[in-house]
Amino acid sequence: MSKTYKSKKILVSRQYQILALILVVLAGGLILLPKYKKNEGISPELFVKHTLSTERYISTDLLADRLVNQDPTVLLIDTRSEEEYTAYALPNAINIPLAKFFDEDLNAYINQNIYDVILYSNDNFYSNEAWMIGNRLGYKNLYVLKGGLNEWFNTIISPKLPKETDSQKDFELYSFRKAAGMYFGVGVSKIETKKKPTKKVITVKKKKKRVPEGGC
Amino acid sequence: MGPLIPNGLIPMDWNYVIAIFIGMAFGYILEASGFSSSRKLAGVFYGYDFVVLKVFFTSAVVAAIGLYYMDYLNWVDISQLYVHPTYLWAAIIGGMIMGVGFLAGGFCPGTSFCGAAIGKIDAMVFTGGIMLGIFVFAEAFTVLEPLFDSSNYGNITLMDTLNMSPYWIIFIFTIIAIVSFGISDKIRNKVKKVFY
Repeated sequence: MSKTYKSKKILVSRQYQILALILVVLAGGLILLPKYKKNEGISPELFVKHTLSTERYISTDLLADRLVNQDPTVLLIDTRSEEEYTAYALPNAINIPLAKFFDEDLNAYINQNIYDVILYSNDNFYSNEAWMIGNRLGYKNLYVLKGGLNEWFNTIISPKLPKETDSQKDFELYSFRKAAGMYFGVGVSKIETKKKPTKKVITVKKKKKRVPEGGC
Repeated sequence: MGPLIPNGLIPMDWNYVIAIFIGMAFGYILEASGFSSSRKLAGVFYGYDFVVLKVFFTSAVVAAIGLYYMDYLNWVDISQLYVHPTYLWAAIIGGMIMGVGFLAGGFCPGTSFCGAAIGKIDAMVFTGGIMLGIFVFAEAFTVLEPLFDSSNYGNITLMDTLNMSPYWIIFIFTIIAIVSFGISDKIRNKVKKVFY
């Protein structure tokens, strides 16, 4: 009786020994695993998905509309060089050239989730690069001004007059752009208003009535 | 990928639903493993039953090893997990009070609800004591507040304090756990058995 009890006891403890060994092997395995550097930010698959999507683009018309309506959530970031920024920039834009993207003070403007950060450059090039870096690191609410400042000039500052055969919508858009251009205060050479045909005034001299002279 | 809820794989609304199910499962396992018995719980202080020590130590070791493997495989981002801030003296004094309560009452807060759920009167009295304690603490909070807020070391972990790799800490922790299990078995064999 006592012998079987003893053998059973050893068997049970052996089970625990194996379990303890498994724990030690697993814990030791963690140390022995080859280490690799983990990438910061979102996964590569998600990044590719975001990059292929055009959701990041915001049109110049939409931006103009938001600026005119003084949308407080818009934060404009100019990704061009300092000289270009001083030469011309959108109203209230902050200049963060790509090289200064990770400066502690400036990075705080981009890595936040309060404002809609709208990146722009002369074209999409630098702004897209900035967007890619930010998106990869998981920054929120980053947008790119589609076409950049070139598009801004072509649409808002000097919009093209639609053809006569174009739709009413095109004309409405044109007048919006014209008004927005006036709001931003540059490039409006003259306001085209159709002149009303002036009425010719023909003065007809009234024949003076002859005062009857004398009488019979 | 993980953690699932902060990364949006599971909507935030499911947070409490999942918590309730995990809580129910936890309570069930506690009760099924005999943790609703105050004699079993108090055994760790008297040396005739070390199951509390074994269960909590094992769960900590298994969770740590599992989490770090999942982190290695990119299933969980360990840096996103919440680390509770360390309030050193508040934790020491609170821990001592909790220990005295544990020893005197034979339950810890979670297991007392397990015991109450299966109708144990001592557990019900214990939960009443918890409520009373919460009430006294809340009323005396202005007096206790300096202690409550003092010695805050932030969200520190052992790897920050010891400046060691987390893998080594887990390994050493595992060895300590297994050694302590062995020692506790030795102590239990020497102490007079208590049947309950």
